Amino acid sequence: MSFNASLRLAVAFGILVVLNYTLRPLLAWRTPVDFLIIALLLAAVRVRPGAAAVIGCLMGLAADSMTPESLGWGALAMTAVAFGASWLKPVFFADNLLLNGLFFFLGKWCYDLLFTIGQQRTHGAELVMQALVWSPLSAAVTALAGVVLLVLLRPLLETSPA
Amino acid sequence: MARNARSGSRLDTVLFAVCGAFSLVFAGVLPGNLREAFAAGLRRTVVAPLVSLQRRAELSRSAFLTHDQVTAQRDSAAIRTLSVIALESENERLRKLLGLGAQLRWGFIPAEAIHSADARGHANAEEYTIALTAGSNVGVQPFSPVVAPEGLAGMVQTVDPTMSLAITWANPDFRVSAMTADGSAFGIVQAHLGSGPNRPERYLLEMRGVPFRSTLQPGTLVVSSGYGGVYPEGVPVGTILGEIKTSETWARTYLVRPAVSPPKLSSVMIIQPQRAKAGVKNVWTSAVAADSATRRVVAAGDSAARAAAMAEVAARRAALDSSPARADSARRASAAVAPRPSGAATPPGASTSAPAAPRPAAPSPPRAADTTARPAATPRADSAPPRTPPAVAPRDTTRAAIPVVTP
Repeated sequence: MSFNASLRLAVAFGILVVLNYTLRPLLAWRTPVDFLIIALLLAAVRVRPGAAAVIGCLMGLAADSMTPESLGWGALAMTAVAFGASWLKPVFFADNLLLNGLFFFLGKWCYDLLFTIGQQRTHGAELVMQALVWSPLSAAVTALAGVVLLVLLRPLLETSPA
Repeated sequence: MARNARSGSRLDTVLFAVCGAFSLVFAGVLPGNLREAFAAGLRRTVVAPLVSLQRRAELSRSAFLTHDQVTAQRDSAAIRTLSVIALESENERLRKLLGLGAQLRWGFIPAEAIHSADARGHANAEEYTIALTAGSNVGVQPFSPVVAPEGLAGMVQTVDPTMSLAITWANPDFRVSAMTADGSAFGIVQAHLGSGPNRPERYLLEMRGVPFRSTLQPGTLVVSSGYGGVYPEGVPVGTILGEIKTSETWARTYLVRPAVSPPKLSSVMIIQPQRAKAGVKNVWTSAVAADSATRRVVAAGDSAARAAAMAEVAARRAALDSSPARADSARRASAAVAPRPSGAATPPGASTSAPAAPRPAAPSPPRAADTTARPAATPRADSAPPRTPPAVAPRDTTRAAIPVVTP
């Protein structure tokens, strides 16, 4: 990846991180849009799996610092999601919005599942409810927002012909 | 090429394993205090700008959400402020009434004025008559003066057991013998019927029959003169506005602004005939200045003034208790103010079943204990006797008699 592409990716990444800490609290939906996952997935498909894992780990730690009781679980989940997304980029890195939407959906759902199960704060029916209702809903909203953002940020994220 | 790919893949796997292990260390191995310290360090350094952004966003959201609530609260506060103004007005009115009751001391019946309405249900602007919520059951008698804290309001005309009807000064049949506060000029005050389609002067009084030699200045206070046997002397009637021209060339007629506005009447006092005979000069005083008189009346209803009066009464009671010779008079005074079934504040010795003429003055001199058992400034409270209950109303016999108008 060229320097120019890296810079544009960094800008887009920064925008999404800022959106996560501004727009998300403003909206305060029951099923929030996870801009961090969108940013992570967009970055992960553009770097090697090892770098994606490092990015995911650092992002997870930063996000977990807001909730110290679950520190580490978010980092672990993001590491896994970023590594997996980077491995699967030949599958999803097509210029297809539906596929990208599915990519965001799966990434967010996997993250929520890993985080919820690893944190071990919910059990039984509540865990099932979280895993099968709220997490998919949040993943769907995130996927929708990801697709919209992908369209909006296309000039910033498209790879220049080398 | 393949070796590079394999080494790269191996490196990725190693990095993933390291990151995973690193995360697991934080998640499960580190003790809580260390995790908290690490998270706090992140929040204070790397994540600090993001934390600030999130806090501002949450503040913005809460401000947005509470905007409607704040608006509703502000509206509620405005409505409450309006009701506070009304309450203040009512408080002032009741305070004045309390003051009037405290000044009258006895021989009055408090009542609420119920304004009559026309056929369409609108309040009668003319206010010729008002209904009073006190009747013969509590001692109201026909031809009793009706007063308000500001002055004369009218006279009871018809009495039922539970209510009575009174004419106000606006009634064309109303007449009161009046004089200036300094007693320099006398006349008859009646409703000014006015002229013209709208009759704007309808809500004024006129003082007729003032001797031609008496020139009254605008602002001069007019009070009842006490002649006629109905209205006691010294009740404010109004203030002179100016002279009006009439066909009577031997006397002057003056326009008078009434002291009391009938539409604003709500709580009044009905003065019993024996109290009217005893005189009420000390209530509104000589009324040289109506404002000061009103202030005195209001001050009598003030709770602070009442507390001071009670303290003074307690001191007097203590002095009386120390003197055996005065104990008997104190007992008599206490017996005189025992609760009565009537709603009227009656003079000592006056029977409630037969509110006839008051007894002659008690043989003993005015006692300090007379005021001890009386709850001060309570209009309906049983009142202590006046210092010198007169058998007849005091009159200034030196004055020339003027036509007496019998209602």
